[in-house]
Amino acid sequence: MATVVALPLPALPSGWSADKDFKVVGKVTQDHATQRTIEPVGPHFLAHARRARHKRTFSEDDR
Amino acid sequence: MSEKKAAPAPGDRVVIGLTFGNSNSSIAHTVDDKAEVIANEDGDRQIPTILSYVEGEEYYGQQAKNFLVRNPQNTVAYFRDFLGKDFKSIDPTHNHASAHPQEASGTVSFTIKDKEGEEADPSTLPVSEISARYLRRLVGSASDYLGKKVTSAVITIPTNFAEKQKAALVAAAGEADLEVLQLISEPVAAVLAYDARPEGEISDKIVVVADLGGTRSDVSVVASRGGMYTILATAHDYEFAGFALDKILMDHFAKEFLKKHGGKDPRDNARSLAKLKQESEATKKALSLGNNASFSVESLSEGVDFASTINRLRYETIARTVFEGFNRLVESVVKKAGLDVLDVDEVILSGGTSHTPRIAANLGYIFPKTTTILAPSTTPTAINPSELQTRGAALQASLIQEYEADDIDQSTHAAVTTVPHVNNAIGVVSLSESGEEVFIPIVQPETAVPARRTVHVAAPKDGGDVLVKIVEGNTHIKVTKPEPKANGDSKAAKVEDAADSDEDSDFSDDEEEEEEEKREKVWKIGSTLAEAAIRGVKKGGKVEVTINVNADLTVVVTTREIGAKGGVRGTISA
Ligand SMILES: Nc1ncnc2c1ncn2[C@@H]1O[C@H](COP(=O)(O)OP(=O)(O)OP(=O)(O)O)[C@@H](O)[C@H]1O
Ligand SMILES: [Mg+2]
Repeated sequence: MATVVALPLPALPSGWSADKDFKVVGKVTQDHATQRTIEPVGPHFLAHARRARHKRTFSEDDR
Repeated sequence: MSEKKAAPAPGDRVVIGLTFGNSNSSIAHTVDDKAEVIANEDGDRQIPTILSYVEGEEYYGQQAKNFLVRNPQNTVAYFRDFLGKDFKSIDPTHNHASAHPQEASGTVSFTIKDKEGEEADPSTLPVSEISARYLRRLVGSASDYLGKKVTSAVITIPTNFAEKQKAALVAAAGEADLEVLQLISEPVAAVLAYDARPEGEISDKIVVVADLGGTRSDVSVVASRGGMYTILATAHDYEFAGFALDKILMDHFAKEFLKKHGGKDPRDNARSLAKLKQESEATKKALSLGNNASFSVESLSEGVDFASTINRLRYETIARTVFEGFNRLVESVVKKAGLDVLDVDEVILSGGTSHTPRIAANLGYIFPKTTTILAPSTTPTAINPSELQTRGAALQASLIQEYEADDIDQSTHAAVTTVPHVNNAIGVVSLSESGEEVFIPIVQPETAVPARRTVHVAAPKDGGDVLVKIVEGNTHIKVTKPEPKANGDSKAAKVEDAADSDEDSDFSDDEEEEEEEKREKVWKIGSTLAEAAIRGVKKGGKVEVTINVNADLTVVVTTREIGAKGGVRGTISA
């Protein structure tokens, strides 16, 4: 279930290089997040709760 | 949870969804994962939350409501909000025309004659007992309909129900021999009812739920993210609700009656007033469907019959202040959530009063055209607003009926439900037609983590090596004011930030200003988190970008050319 975007990505600037073609520049810090309460309702919450309680990731859950 | 009897084993449960309002209640169950609302033995799906005793015989629902005219002192109505409350803190406004609440043995109680015989003593019953008796009738109806004894329910509650109120409701249900599987929020039940439709697509959206009932209006802003719901803000109002619309029609017809017949004001006599109220409510409901409605009461005052009609336009004119109240309430809660009307994708109209076409139309004026207003008069496929909550509750009941009570408790515990939500969006940078950098959101703001989202983005037309730049993003509202038309061609438009612009949106029928300012939501690119390269993408190729935000805010990026081997994976530690 992926969204499709028509606007193209830019071309790679010449001279760009990184180990394994991936470069970390910043991070999402705690002050970029707020603790809130998800409503314990619906099938997607149940999947979330199941992952949380069994400490499973999305991909482990997919299998 | 229930102290009286052992709860049924999960495999033995028969479950329903139940809404228990101050005005109406309803019951629903699921058939093949679809919610169906159950009609009681009177054929009602909206069952008035009223209990009445005549000669020791107990009546509930519409039959009890009919007794408000002839037997008000032994009829108990509008009591749900008194459960679990101190007498000092209740508002008895709506109980004037039926049994009055009083303080007895430290709780809100009603004194009514519930036993047969002239000389039988009246009983003073706490609101918990009234609730239990009423709930027992609902469960009885559901059991009759299903042909099996209903054992358990998911019940909806307002978002501002306190712990004591919740406990009192669970206890009253227990008295009625009903296991409460879970109490869920009314607005969330409404969102779930929509999302569970076969055609319902799970997407990331901001939803406003306007629950307009009989004695109260409750509005919530819900961030719906991949089928998970977070309430961002709520507002409650006890002034603008269905009863206020009844009152307007009551005053209207009382005045008409006096003009025509003179004599005593029907509002000064309890029985006349009850008749006036009953028929005004019926007229109000008829006006939701037709352009004209009749009003007719036998022996309205001093034995004089009265019949009249009213058209919708007249009604909408005299009820305008109430309708404006609904709009203000909705606007206030959007603001409280720190959002703009442009951020709202959907408005779900819930509750009986939401059948009113003018209310849906007025809300349409405060939101942009891109906002879907889900009401019967605006969207043909809208779900009956009176049934949304009970449908959502039934769906939830069927989802959890197999769970042990302990599992349900654990899953709904704060350790599982309270999680970080990202403040900013996370996405990639694309190029607009004019070659400018634009933000493409992948994970929306207010998404609970852990979260995973995937997009497919076009590569440059000719393919080649592609830059996947992962950035944070945020929105702001751009306001474009048209220049005064004085100098003819006025292409130069003034742009200013809307942060503190006053948004007194006018939903009235007054003539609109010729030149309206243009407000739009635009994404701003924030700080860069990471960069990745996808090399040698073929002409016309597409790139898949998946973002996983873990519970500790670590971001894992996976990206590859669709249909090609390999790809890049990287981790941005928090
Ligand atoms: N078709 C209709 N058109 C207009 N109003 C309606 C319609 N149907 C029901 N109502 C009104 O809706 C109100 C009841 O709303 P609802 O059934 O959502 O009750 P509730 O949640 O129990 O109310 P509350 O707890 O606020 O008292 C009443 O004022 C009723 O007159
Ligand atoms: Mg309600």
